[in-house]
Amino acid sequence: MPTDYSTHLSNDRMGLQRSIAWHLRYSLGKNWADRHNRDLFRCLSLAVRDRLVERLLATESRYQAQGVKRLYYLCIEFLIGRSLENNLYNLEIYQECGEAFRALGADLGEILEMENDAALGNGGLGRLAACFLDSLATLGLPGFGYGINYEFGLFRQEIDNGYQREKPEQWKAEAAPCQIERRDEACLIPLYGRIVHDIDMNGDYNPMWMDWQVIIGVPFDIPIAGYGRETVNYLRLYEARGSSEFDIRIFNEGDYFQAVQQKINSENITKILYPSDMMEPGRELRLVQEYFLVACALKDIVRRYRLQHQDWTEFPQKVAIQLNDTHPALAVAELMRILVDENAQEWDEAWSITQRTMAYTNHTLLPEALEKWPVRLLDHVLPRHLQIICEINQRFLARAAEIQPGIPGRLEHLSIVEEESEKQINMARLAIVGSHSVNGVSQLHTQLLKEDLLPDFYRLWPEKFNNKTNGVTQRRWLLVANPRLADLLCRTIGEGWITEAERLRHLEAYAKDPPFQAEFLAIKRANKERLARTIWKTARIRVSPQSLFDIQAKRIHEYKRQLLMVMHIIHEYLTLVEDGLEPLVPRTYVFAGKAAPGYWAAKQLIKLIHSVGEVVNKDARCRDCMKVAFIPDYKVSLAEKIIPAADLSEQISTAGKEASGTGNMKFALNGALTMGTLDGANVEILEAVGEQNIFIFGLNAPKISQMRAAGTYHPRDYCRRHPEIQRVMEAFSSSRFCPGEPGLFQWICRRLLDEGDEYFHLADFMPYVQAQAEASREYHSPGLWARKAILNVARMGRFSSDRTITEYAREIWELEAAR
Amino acid sequence: MQIEEKVIENILVVTPLEKRLDASAAVDFKGKMVDWINTGHRRIILDLSLVDFVDSSGLGAIVSCLKTLGEGGDLVISGIEDAVLSLFQLTRMNRVFQIFPTPEAAIKGLTG
Repeated sequence: MPTDYSTHLSNDRMGLQRSIAWHLRYSLGKNWADRHNRDLFRCLSLAVRDRLVERLLATESRYQAQGVKRLYYLCIEFLIGRSLENNLYNLEIYQECGEAFRALGADLGEILEMENDAALGNGGLGRLAACFLDSLATLGLPGFGYGINYEFGLFRQEIDNGYQREKPEQWKAEAAPCQIERRDEACLIPLYGRIVHDIDMNGDYNPMWMDWQVIIGVPFDIPIAGYGRETVNYLRLYEARGSSEFDIRIFNEGDYFQAVQQKINSENITKILYPSDMMEPGRELRLVQEYFLVACALKDIVRRYRLQHQDWTEFPQKVAIQLNDTHPALAVAELMRILVDENAQEWDEAWSITQRTMAYTNHTLLPEALEKWPVRLLDHVLPRHLQIICEINQRFLARAAEIQPGIPGRLEHLSIVEEESEKQINMARLAIVGSHSVNGVSQLHTQLLKEDLLPDFYRLWPEKFNNKTNGVTQRRWLLVANPRLADLLCRTIGEGWITEAERLRHLEAYAKDPPFQAEFLAIKRANKERLARTIWKTARIRVSPQSLFDIQAKRIHEYKRQLLMVMHIIHEYLTLVEDGLEPLVPRTYVFAGKAAPGYWAAKQLIKLIHSVGEVVNKDARCRDCMKVAFIPDYKVSLAEKIIPAADLSEQISTAGKEASGTGNMKFALNGALTMGTLDGANVEILEAVGEQNIFIFGLNAPKISQMRAAGTYHPRDYCRRHPEIQRVMEAFSSSRFCPGEPGLFQWICRRLLDEGDEYFHLADFMPYVQAQAEASREYHSPGLWARKAILNVARMGRFSSDRTITEYAREIWELEAAR
Repeated sequence: MQIEEKVIENILVVTPLEKRLDASAAVDFKGKMVDWINTGHRRIILDLSLVDFVDSSGLGAIVSCLKTLGEGGDLVISGIEDAVLSLFQLTRMNRVFQIFPTPEAAIKGLTG
């Protein structure tokens, strides 16, 4: 058996060239002379995959030899983006690859642009998961992602007459071919069926789950390389296939079409990612997706554990499972089912194992995102799980009444089974009850979990609750996305920050240094020029890199308040055209983000941005002062171009709504100043960077909560008191921004003035205008702005996902690095 | 479905000769089992040593045979493969059927 791969897999220029040439011939079946750039992309991907596989196998051997505890990160979304460039950096072969391609007469940058994003996620939840996998591998921790291999990821966004149009995104077509199919580890997943109530051999009640349908889950592994070549973990994504019953039925003539239909139905399970952040009420397919993920993951986890262990006593010492949001909450019931039904464990012992294994992260405060499944739907799809959940609930409520005798009146606030008009299972409560740890994702969010969302659970189990402020990987979001800035940092303070982000602090000494400032600003300028080219290419709008790039890039949602930014733009525009007052500094306002297809208001906001932009951009009076651009099809690869170019980062959600945000961290890490409310992780960013280096405005969460509770918020009062607001409202109700469709934006006036302005736009508008004016004044002094921007970069080390994962590993998972 | 049956020490030993006890075979299997039960067999060993796949229809047929046999009868399983055992465990059928490694062990268990 050959073991010397030194020539084929060496990481120098010649080794890489050999690999690429080898794959062109033997993987693609082409002569060298017949190659195209797309072939080189595929060959490079395969060459990189070879190197990843070497390290993947070595890593797994190390893990097995050391008998490590493993962390399984369950998430319904993984927003990985492009992998190839990130892998080149993490394997430390980017430079050598560049040299290899130059020698081949090709441009590496062009090649890398060919890769499709793997968009298996909607936004923050999925991207956080991807950052976490990067950090787990870089820290040498045995952590693995488990998810779904959607055939169609998040839709491609096209803009037609200012409106979003969704197009299917078949991402695998031009993704880097780094998935490794593991057909021999496929698993059988039962669904539907019924319970046959029976008595067992001991005379005890024995519920038998019969007549289920079977789906096959086939795993595909994506190698996840840590920085520095040592550790390669994997992300395991499951794809649904029909069971092999199909093969038998085709011989039974009358059943052929029914068999085909059943096969198609089975494979629908992993066909598409649900494109909404919100709960999909009554969507059976979504419930099936969630169970499919959980069942495949747990089967795999248990199988791996049982290869090394005879009994279950060590399970929590060897396995940690992190449940992200409520989508994988069924894991609590599934592990109980495996232990009790399949392995004859006593209930109490099984419950102890389950609780010690599971941990739950809540990623959102929005009640509409917290899943509740109707009992009748669960009974239909997962009858045995429903029984188990009811048993869990009964025992939990009895125990709760023991712990806190005064509790009976509050049991309805704790019960997993909610007795509304239609009985529902509250999945967040199931996750909490079944876990030993419950964490929020910023200090403010965790506080709000304890005080507002889950106070009864906090009173019952204060020791379970803890905070783990989110983070982002500085490797993708600075090293890869902003190579010029990364190079400047490395030349100035060394490369240590790449794996120890706190070393960015050393930059503070250079914040006031004029030559450093000049180079810093030149890099920002170059990034803005690159973004300007992207804006011209995709939106056909000319913007000036000299202007202040004021950017809001995130999912479109009313609580994130893209509308507030548009209101400010309208205010600035009207101040210019009606009052004759030019802005102090020219600005380019940039928006990017997708709206859930079923979210009417969000889609109208996209139209609004385009409509306002059309008026502003065509108005000769604005030519040198203001431009508005919406860049379509926001995704990770686009974020990598947008974020390094930002001067001002808009993080302006209504306080108390955004659990954390992570875009805020990425922008600040790249030297943008934050324009933000005291929401989510903005609060901690303020603490870290210092109040002189950030623009904070607006009502805080306690104040908003108080006003809501007391009913003292009257938006019309703000309108009456401030002519600026009145003028903006009149602009919405008039046809100024919709001459061809009169009345198109009147809904905004209704929302803000008649329907209570749920997200406090009017209350925060004037403070926002004032904060924006301050930002303009400071941008007018480049040295001052540069100093603040550099201090932002220097002080963002805390927000590395390496820090977050280190905290999770120490405090929740008890996980150690394998070296 | 091809099934071999023989009587040893007044116990009917039923051995399906095909690898799959699935929807296409379950009806026939159940029909034959019911016939044997109706002709008076009260102690039956179902030897699954040649079966490597049972689907929910097959499992349902086996349970149905047990119900047909009723009180006072014995239907036990022998020679069960790991993959099939895991399905018995999934459905909790392993708590209802005695399971023996071989037909000989099953005979001993029923007579001993």
